[in-house]
Amino acid sequence: MAVLSNRLSRWTLPMFTCALVNFLAAQGLILAGLTWPAESISTSGTLAAVHLLVIGWLLLLVLGALFQFVPVITSRPLVSQSMALVTLIALETGMVGMVGGFFSIGAGYPTLAMALPLGGLAVCLGVLIACWNIGVPLIRSRPLPLPGRMILTGLAFLILTVTLGFSFALTLAVPVLAPYLAPLLAGVGDHALAGLGGWFTLTAMGVSYKLLPMFMLAPEERGIAGDSVHILGTVGFALAVGAGLARVWSAAGPLRTAELVGYAAVAIAVVLYLWDVAKIYRTRKRTVVEAHNRAAIAAFAFLGLGSALAIGFLMTGHLSVGAPAIVFLIVFGWLGGLGLTQLYKIVPFLTWLSRYGSSLGRGHVPRVQDLVLERRSYPWFALYFLGVLVGALFGLLGSPRGFRACIALVTLATVGLVIEYWRAWRGHYAHLRHGESATPPFLPTQRG
Amino acid sequence: MSTEVSLNRDLVLDALHDVIDPELGYNIVDLGLIYEVEVGTGIVEITMTMTTPGCPAQDYIMSGVYERCKSLPGVDDARVHLTFLPAWSPRLMTPVAKAHFGIQE
Repeated sequence: MAVLSNRLSRWTLPMFTCALVNFLAAQGLILAGLTWPAESISTSGTLAAVHLLVIGWLLLLVLGALFQFVPVITSRPLVSQSMALVTLIALETGMVGMVGGFFSIGAGYPTLAMALPLGGLAVCLGVLIACWNIGVPLIRSRPLPLPGRMILTGLAFLILTVTLGFSFALTLAVPVLAPYLAPLLAGVGDHALAGLGGWFTLTAMGVSYKLLPMFMLAPEERGIAGDSVHILGTVGFALAVGAGLARVWSAAGPLRTAELVGYAAVAIAVVLYLWDVAKIYRTRKRTVVEAHNRAAIAAFAFLGLGSALAIGFLMTGHLSVGAPAIVFLIVFGWLGGLGLTQLYKIVPFLTWLSRYGSSLGRGHVPRVQDLVLERRSYPWFALYFLGVLVGALFGLLGSPRGFRACIALVTLATVGLVIEYWRAWRGHYAHLRHGESATPPFLPTQRG
Repeated sequence: MSTEVSLNRDLVLDALHDVIDPELGYNIVDLGLIYEVEVGTGIVEITMTMTTPGCPAQDYIMSGVYERCKSLPGVDDARVHLTFLPAWSPRLMTPVAKAHFGIQE
């Protein structure tokens, strides 16, 4: 019987590795003083850090996870494993080009600034290939469960986001096009909303709707609550982004109303989602909640906090004042936090599949949980989320020094977690549990 | 004096206790993943399920079942069939497994 599984996404772990390196690089830019939340979005340091975070860290992380996860929910393989590598190369090189382009524009080197649209083009290419690779099994799957429908919606927002982003890159780097495209720059907030909301948040919600019940043995059927989250979230983000972009050209009152209706729909979707997630935790059959799902509670709390702050600032007419701190909470607390916590499960799982799976039935093999030592992870998760929370507070209070001190804590925690992922991959704790320093015979290294 | 034990269903199930679901970290028999065991002359047929359709560990678990059955004396071949009818739920666990996971009856 064939032992080699085609269910293992070959390029997911390399994508996670690149994503973590990019995340630390972005934190390095903040620590170096090149940006902080209250800085104008148009400074080269801010643009570089933001794109390192959203393309280098979050996009690679989420696409890497989807390459592994979509075959799970569709029971269909990706269109092409090797095209996942093309996506990785296109996104990483494209992102490096974009970051170089931002710094070139800031330093006044217009020739080198062409790296920005060229990098943007590579990112668009990588995204389109990924959408094809992930979208085809999703579209062909009948009936498509809620997580799959939410991911498909997310992919549509992703295409919108990169299209807008590419037009911004052309505006900034190609002077001859600037007169035609410059008005679009006023829609940079909608670009961010489409990306962080329509793409990342809806996709993360969809993925969590599968993974949380699966790992906690809770009922997977989400019923009307899940469908409502999807519909309200989709309509809400589409209205907010669409009306927001239309307002770039027209100041018509109904557009503002549509935008506000969109925000309201998103707020209701978030409340429903958090209520539904709490229900999953409550109705779980598995008594013990593993570390990744325990720590994820903080990420869900940050989604609630970021959304509540956004609504609060919107209602008081000061959204632009609070927006940087809110974006920081969503990127680091909600999306980044959820990513780091779920990596603590996904990395050992993929490690088990690639290193130990073939030995099942032939002798003793470790469990996935044997590859981690949960108590080692809790201090890092606590430090990370504490750093994000207090960092956002310093952002709101206007204290760059306090904010950077918090980012230093966040960086320390991220490095600590990376070491734990590395130990899981190396089988470090599985070795220790059996009192042997070298690779024991029941832990064969089948690759590498 | 012969100490050979003839191949039977209980022997196969006992052997399959060595195969675990890696994520739950528990043997697949007590998890209730084995639906049917048929023992013929030198052939074992297993009908089993996964905790969730499309489980990434599916191929490895099925391969593990095959390998463990093949290692039994008197087994020339093993056939492993996958079904999701009925869908697995924690209700299918044995009382021992339910107690391990803290699941109320």
